[in-house]
Amino acid sequence: MREVTRILPPYSLESFKNLHAGEHVLLCGHVLVMRDQAQKKLFDMKEKGENLPIDLSNTVVFYAGPAKPIPTMPAGAIGPTTSKRMDKYLEFLYLQGVLATIGKGDRSEYVKELNKRYRRVYFVTPSGVAALLASCVVKSDILAFEELGPEAIRLIEVRDLPLFVWIDASGQVFRNAVNR
Amino acid sequence: MKLISSTEIEKRTFELLKKLNTHFNNDVFKISCGNITGEYNRYLCELFKENAEIAEKKGLPLCQDTGFVEFFVELGTSVVLEEPIDKTLNRAVSKTYSTLPFRTSMVNPPIGESANTKDNTPAFVHIEQRDGQDLVITAHVKGGGSENLSALWMLLPTTSVEEIIELVTKHIQARGGQSCPPLHVGVGIGGSADTAVLLAKKALTIKLGKRNDDPAIARLERTLVSRLNELKIGVQGFGEGPSVLDVHILTLPRHIAVLPIALAVDCFLCRVGRISL
Repeated sequence: MREVTRILPPYSLESFKNLHAGEHVLLCGHVLVMRDQAQKKLFDMKEKGENLPIDLSNTVVFYAGPAKPIPTMPAGAIGPTTSKRMDKYLEFLYLQGVLATIGKGDRSEYVKELNKRYRRVYFVTPSGVAALLASCVVKSDILAFEELGPEAIRLIEVRDLPLFVWIDASGQVFRNAVNR
Repeated sequence: MKLISSTEIEKRTFELLKKLNTHFNNDVFKISCGNITGEYNRYLCELFKENAEIAEKKGLPLCQDTGFVEFFVELGTSVVLEEPIDKTLNRAVSKTYSTLPFRTSMVNPPIGESANTKDNTPAFVHIEQRDGQDLVITAHVKGGGSENLSALWMLLPTTSVEEIIELVTKHIQARGGQSCPPLHVGVGIGGSADTAVLLAKKALTIKLGKRNDDPAIARLERTLVSRLNELKIGVQGFGEGPSVLDVHILTLPRHIAVLPIALAVDCFLCRVGRISL
């Protein structure tokens, strides 16, 4: 934990695959913000053979829905939501090229296997510190599904977003979390 | 008779909701960070402090999930209101969430093509009548992640206390990490299915550290606190520091054939506050 790894863009599989569970990371670059309804919509569109409104290749997905912004800041309060609710869309995201996900909490058992198979990573970022995380966001734009309000897909640019590797690319879960 | 104006109730409720969303509860900080047990715990507590400062300075909410709002209203029989209290409280919620940099998270209809109600209404209002001329409003700002840990069990009336402890412990062990620990746990024992759930919710409005007046229930609260802390979920699920802030239990008599046990969970922010008018 004492050592901090800073990850800079552009992201590739190489950026994340050597990280270890429990490692502290500061992320810089672009992050796609999307949660339950947006992922369901994308999944349903793909099932119907439609083109997706956004390109997911080489992206990092943050499971979040921000609060309204204040005039002096690019983004409102932002923080992770429970990742486990979106486990059913995780393989779909990986197949579209998503390299890593950010959220909060434990995930289903099968996520370890998915991370190992696709060499992808699951990070957690602290919850209940959304004013602090908002100050890591330097830019925010709505990319799709604006009608969903807080659940619209956003592209944010972050500087030193604090993350912890929860499930790494070899399927290892953060040690302190496995004990229970 | 005492007339309390809707304008006054609305104004005080707005101020309360603003405060609950932007001011960090000091009792929470003392329990979560009073006895640092590891490097993750230390780092997270620094973030809590920094977050509280930024939220306070900029008027930002502590958490992006500014919740749904639940009210417990104690209404004195000598109080005269200008309109049904839930109308006033919903107007206060609407004003708070439309004008402040919070998130509006309520959608309707609940299934199918849901649309955001855009002002975070409706709030859920529970009213109890009391003797006297006081109006006491308890507001609870409740995040969705912790609400998803709620549970109701209709147990056999022959269930032992030890089995109840096991049940609650297993539930928090399996699900606690998906909310935002250290958790405040509310348990409703007895009554009917609906009242047990309400008891569990009301238990979350009890001050951290306070014990039940009934010594047997107080003992059960203490046992649950220590059993749940033994799970080592820790602050934010990192395995260090307390797993729960406290456990509160409320009870009601029950029918001989039924034993409802309800569980409600609050995230570590514990955004609960009270106003008296």
